Amino acid sequence: MVRNTTRNFLVVMAVLALLIVPAMAQDEGTVVVEAGDPVVIGVAAVISGEGLAPLGEDIVRGVELALDERGTVTVGDVEFEVTIDVQDDLCSAEGGQAVANYYVSNPQIVGIVGPTCSSACRGAGPILDSAGYIMISASCTNPALAADFVSFNRTAPNDDAQGVEDAIFIYDYLGITKLATIHDGSPYGEGLVTNVAAAFEELGGEVVAQDAVTVGDTDFRSTLNTIAAAGPELIFFGGFPAEAARLAEQRADAGLSEVPFMGADGLYSPELINLGGAAVEGVYMSTPAPAVSDALSEFVAAYEEKYGFAPTAAFHSYSHDAVLMYLDAIEAVGEIDADGNLVIDRAALAEYIANYGAEEPVVGLSGLLSCNGDGECAQGGIGFFQVQDGEIVRLETMSMELE
Amino acid sequence: MSLLEVHDIHTYYGKIHALKGISLTVEKGEIVTLIGGNGAGKTTTLNTISGITPAAEGYIIFEGKDITRAPAHQIVSFGVIQSPEGRKIFTRLTVRENLEMGAFIRKDLAKIARDMEYVFHRFPRLKERINQLGGTLSGGEQQMLAIGRALMASPHLLLLDEPSMGLAPMLVEEIFNVIQYLNGESGTTILLVEQNATKALEIAARGYVLQSGYITHRGTGAELQHDPTIIEAYLGGH
Amino acid sequence: MLKSIPIAGRLRFGNDPVQTFLYMAGGALLLFFAFIAVRNTLTGAYGIDDFLQGIVLGLAQGSIYALIALGYTLVYGVLMMINFAHSEVFMGGAYIGFFAINAFHESGFLAENTLVALLITMAIGMLASVILAVLLERIAYRPLRNAPRLVPLITAIGASITLQQIFLRLFGGGTRSYPVVSLCIGGTLQGTTCEGGIDIMQGRYQVEVFGGEIVIRPLYFVIFFIALILMAALWFFVQRTKVGKAMRAVAEDKNTAALMGVNVDRVIVLTFVLGALMAGAAAVLFALYNRQVSPFMGFTPGVKAFTAAVLGGIGNVPGAMAGGVLLGVIESAAPQMLGLPSQLEDVVAFGVLVLILIFRPTGIFGEVLAKKKA
Ligand SMILES: Nc1ncnc2c1ncn2[C@@H]1O[C@H](COP(=O)(O)OP(=O)(O)OP(=O)(O)O)[C@@H](O)[C@H]1O
Ligand SMILES: [Mg+2]
Repeated sequence: MVRNTTRNFLVVMAVLALLIVPAMAQDEGTVVVEAGDPVVIGVAAVISGEGLAPLGEDIVRGVELALDERGTVTVGDVEFEVTIDVQDDLCSAEGGQAVANYYVSNPQIVGIVGPTCSSACRGAGPILDSAGYIMISASCTNPALAADFVSFNRTAPNDDAQGVEDAIFIYDYLGITKLATIHDGSPYGEGLVTNVAAAFEELGGEVVAQDAVTVGDTDFRSTLNTIAAAGPELIFFGGFPAEAARLAEQRADAGLSEVPFMGADGLYSPELINLGGAAVEGVYMSTPAPAVSDALSEFVAAYEEKYGFAPTAAFHSYSHDAVLMYLDAIEAVGEIDADGNLVIDRAALAEYIANYGAEEPVVGLSGLLSCNGDGECAQGGIGFFQVQDGEIVRLETMSMELE
Repeated sequence: MSLLEVHDIHTYYGKIHALKGISLTVEKGEIVTLIGGNGAGKTTTLNTISGITPAAEGYIIFEGKDITRAPAHQIVSFGVIQSPEGRKIFTRLTVRENLEMGAFIRKDLAKIARDMEYVFHRFPRLKERINQLGGTLSGGEQQMLAIGRALMASPHLLLLDEPSMGLAPMLVEEIFNVIQYLNGESGTTILLVEQNATKALEIAARGYVLQSGYITHRGTGAELQHDPTIIEAYLGGH
Repeated sequence: MLKSIPIAGRLRFGNDPVQTFLYMAGGALLLFFAFIAVRNTLTGAYGIDDFLQGIVLGLAQGSIYALIALGYTLVYGVLMMINFAHSEVFMGGAYIGFFAINAFHESGFLAENTLVALLITMAIGMLASVILAVLLERIAYRPLRNAPRLVPLITAIGASITLQQIFLRLFGGGTRSYPVVSLCIGGTLQGTTCEGGIDIMQGRYQVEVFGGEIVIRPLYFVIFFIALILMAALWFFVQRTKVGKAMRAVAEDKNTAALMGVNVDRVIVLTFVLGALMAGAAAVLFALYNRQVSPFMGFTPGVKAFTAAVLGGIGNVPGAMAGGVLLGVIESAAPQMLGLPSQLEDVVAFGVLVLILIFRPTGIFGEVLAKKKA
């Protein structure tokens, strides 16, 4: 009996040791990619949800095309394949938390491209911060994110930049002095609308009505009715295509059919036209838009060839650049250990990304990339677009194109 | 062949073994009564016949058909009609609607109308309250309605569960008169469950005594009426 | 008809201080609402024109709520169960209706023979809802008929999520749009304008009222009248037909109904079918009105319709109708009247629900009978 107990105890200890030793060997702060294994990058994007999937899918496609161009990293003389693990961020704080928890439980994930929506970035931030992981979002444009989370980086310009430019566009280019704003209650929508309204008043315009709608609601007629009473000359909406299409369409039921409708990058998607049809004709939108370049045209051509349709949102070039940043960073900070494994120190990786292109901007697809140490990497400008004859057409404006 | 033949049925409520092998028969044209104390299994016996609480063992034959496993609504369509304990009239339906529910399975509109006239003839009180909600009737009126409703089905076999319960003596008398009348005049076969054993045995051809899920005595009405143990236990004899 | 139980019965405590407090709080809130409304009217911030606009908008939306609410109320009346998956029965009708109308649109049938195409779409939507509801009853609820009441409730929530996910996996998460349909009555359609007649689907008319201008669409009234006709038909069915009577009998007492020869299972299925017919019709009207459909579209109207059912007195058919229309009107008129952001329209709607339940725990049409018996 005694012998048996002792033996059992030893067996248990041995099993525990077997379990614990590798866990200890794999330090939390490093990624160890065994020789022959691929490097894995997480991609958190919204791939379900009303009218949102085209935005997230555009981001995933940008990543896939970046890997078609450059599918490996070489550290020392060893080449490692790069693969992705795509998860749905649901465009919500809960979704962001869920994907962040998913990724931090997998020590093989080097970093994350995404999430798509500012709400999801906000949800993911604290979890990634405490795990020492980083994200590079192609589309979370809520300004506060960069300061709030160490883990957060973005390749797209934030809504401060976009809000100011939108206000200038509305006031100077369209010559409008009375503005109504609506947001959808998301951090993105609310932040954007606040920026636009503040900048618009600073320019001398008047914000005559401010309101908000609930995502998923379908009947916004009473909201529009309230707004109509204030007599706005333009309605600016911070939100996404599904609600935008309804608002644009239901304008007519509130006697606002002649009042132009505008949104930002959240609306920049053919989905808006699919949903709204004739009702979204004439809708304006701004979006982070890289200066037109040969590289970009080639990229879009490759996109159309690979997927068979035009880009479904404006984020593909930003997610493409996010991948390049990771690949450069891995090659710069990665090391090969005695067993031929690739070892990446997370802190070094984060440091490298935070200062990517700080000394000398790197030419990316979306424009120049130069991170400010706080996670703001975009140097690209904002473009303005309008739905004309069922197509999203870029407008020639005085919008500044930072080179 | 008996009209109804119940053979050694066992019925359970979950783990509670309520009927422990009940056998009884009812001949065409008879009044048969089932007496017994509270919780003896009288209601359960009727509900098992009606298919509300199907028997786990044993079988029930009605007019030569095995109805043991038939669903309740089908048993009704065979002509076995129960007027349940506590009247169970539909309180949110009017008097007329309650009676129409009684005739639910029937399609012969002319005959239904005639039967309704007959019910109103027997219970003029109901006619006065024809459009009143069932829930607003007095206890006695509700019992009349319950019996009337059962008649509307033109039963081959009428199962009556304590029709005199909770009624004033005058009304009890009237109810028993109606039962006898139904049996005598229109030849309706009746299986009568009663707490009022004295009266039940007076009008019944035969009777069964139930106790704790078993049948303890059986016999003609007269035999049971004069059985000392029954007098002791059920007929309030001293 | 049917039974109504005071869901919010706990709000009523007899003559104790809590009830007094609730009455006073409710009264204060009412006075406060009235004060703001009067003030906004006097300052000109809110006019009669705004009110009328609110009413017509609320009428259309509210009729749709009412139709959906009937499904909740019927099933509750018969099974004492809140069928949370009813919102997905609604969604399914709208979604499958989309495939029908889209096919008609692409084949040109919709343009050629608009009225017939619309009627067929509605029939298909109703059929889809009925199929979903019948499957739901058979698979999810019937096996649990005798389980404790919490069990089918939780199953209903599960069924709701399952149906959403099935539609999501089958048809994708994207939103789809019903085509823009014009139905020109008394004139000819030239492009998108109805020459010499009225376009009862797309037409919009600016109407001068009380110094203001409101936009009226004939569609609002079309929705209202279709809803009214359907509800009247349902009312007639439940009150006047033999099967309707059986349904009321089953609602009151299943065993006794069975003793009358009623096939209780069949009546329960029928209850689901009736609710689904209303929901399917509501779904197609809703989708023609608001145009967008998605697997998640059922949630909000579902919650509103359930609220409407409680508002009117759950289990009560006329109550569901009145509750729906009332909720629609309050929702569209109240935020503006009170000068609140319309994001708070739900808060206002549920605030009214709480108010009504304080003063009438059984809902507007909730029967006093239920209270007497309790
Ligand atoms: N629904 C039920 N669930 C559990 N047990 C039950 C149920 N109905 C009856 N019983 C039990 O079955 C037994 C027989 O009950 P039943 O109602 O048949 O008696 P009864 O002879 O009709 O009595 P009473 O004269 O009081 O009506 C009793 O012990 C009773 O407690
Ligand atoms: Mg009994």
